[in-house]
Amino acid sequence: MEAELAQTLVGGLKRAGIDLVTYLPETRLSQILPLLRGDPSFTLVPVASESEAVTIGAGAALAGKQVAIYMECTGLYVSSYTLVSIARRYGVPLLLVVAYLGSMADQRNNSVYAVSGSYVEPMLEALQIQFQIIKSGERLEADIRDAVRHMHALKLPVALVFTGDFTG
Amino acid sequence: MIRYDCLKLLAPRISDQLVVTSLSGQKIEWASLSQHPGNLLVGTMGTALGVGIGLAIGLPRRKVIVLESDGSVLLSLFNLATLANLDPQNLVVLVFDNQVYSGTRISEPTATAGKTDLAMMARGAGIEQATTVRDLEKFQREMDAALNEAQLKFIVCKVEESVAHREITRTDLDPMENKYQFVRYLERTEGKPIFRGRG
Repeated sequence: MEAELAQTLVGGLKRAGIDLVTYLPETRLSQILPLLRGDPSFTLVPVASESEAVTIGAGAALAGKQVAIYMECTGLYVSSYTLVSIARRYGVPLLLVVAYLGSMADQRNNSVYAVSGSYVEPMLEALQIQFQIIKSGERLEADIRDAVRHMHALKLPVALVFTGDFTG
Repeated sequence: MIRYDCLKLLAPRISDQLVVTSLSGQKIEWASLSQHPGNLLVGTMGTALGVGIGLAIGLPRRKVIVLESDGSVLLSLFNLATLANLDPQNLVVLVFDNQVYSGTRISEPTATAGKTDLAMMARGAGIEQATTVRDLEKFQREMDAALNEAQLKFIVCKVEESVAHREITRTDLDPMENKYQFVRYLERTEGKPIFRGRG
């Protein structure tokens, strides 16, 4: 990912009001982590499983934090139980920032990722999580702002899914 | 030691603390003993501790108490490592370890009925002060210290299997209703808006 896109993404999160990010590190969007860590307006919460990225994020959101959850797309499968049993059942606004490994546009795609990637969009639909596929930085700031407004309006998780066109 | 007796000691001590419950019997028992608006009756397996960690991080000046169970903690063991490293000083975790999956009604044993020691696992994860209590007197002593001290507490309460909750009328509080009650209570007492957006 170009450094400028990482800055736009992190700046967009900040200007949209996000102030706490739970995350399990991955490769495609990883340049955002040093930027998030270097900005004191973000509380950064490293976790050991995307499942708890959701439960911890949900608790923080109910406490008044504006929460993003940064994960690789395979984290959607790991966290599907907590997305349903906590985030959807209680209705908790959360912004999922998802790196779309294994998409057709994933420029580092291989046999490890391709099958996992093929389930991403059907999985989000099955979880009834509205999402936006992000292919470029052109409307990124507006897309983040729209997604955060939407998650508050719905009081539910929404997802921004970044393809290989964006992440490189 | 019976879980319901422990909860009966805890209930009158709640003032402005937040209480997050795990599933099954303890949720039913706690809801019958306390109708405090600071209760969040999570009620699904492997989720209460994570939610409690998030609340404790989001409200660092507020004491958060999580009522967990052995089966539920075993389902989300990664919580122990994350909790140890975050080390929220305002979080108290009470794990009522009855060594069975009592919600199944056939009381299948959990791993703690065998070789597994949750307090030792928590210490291994880095929660150095994790401890085990086996009688009401020690429970009361540990609970009093936990409520009064600014320090992460992880207390495994070894309890007998009990079916007391089966005689208790279950709360009819819907999860959404519980959420709004809880959030509005926090908005009043913390003096800040939580749910944003125009109605």
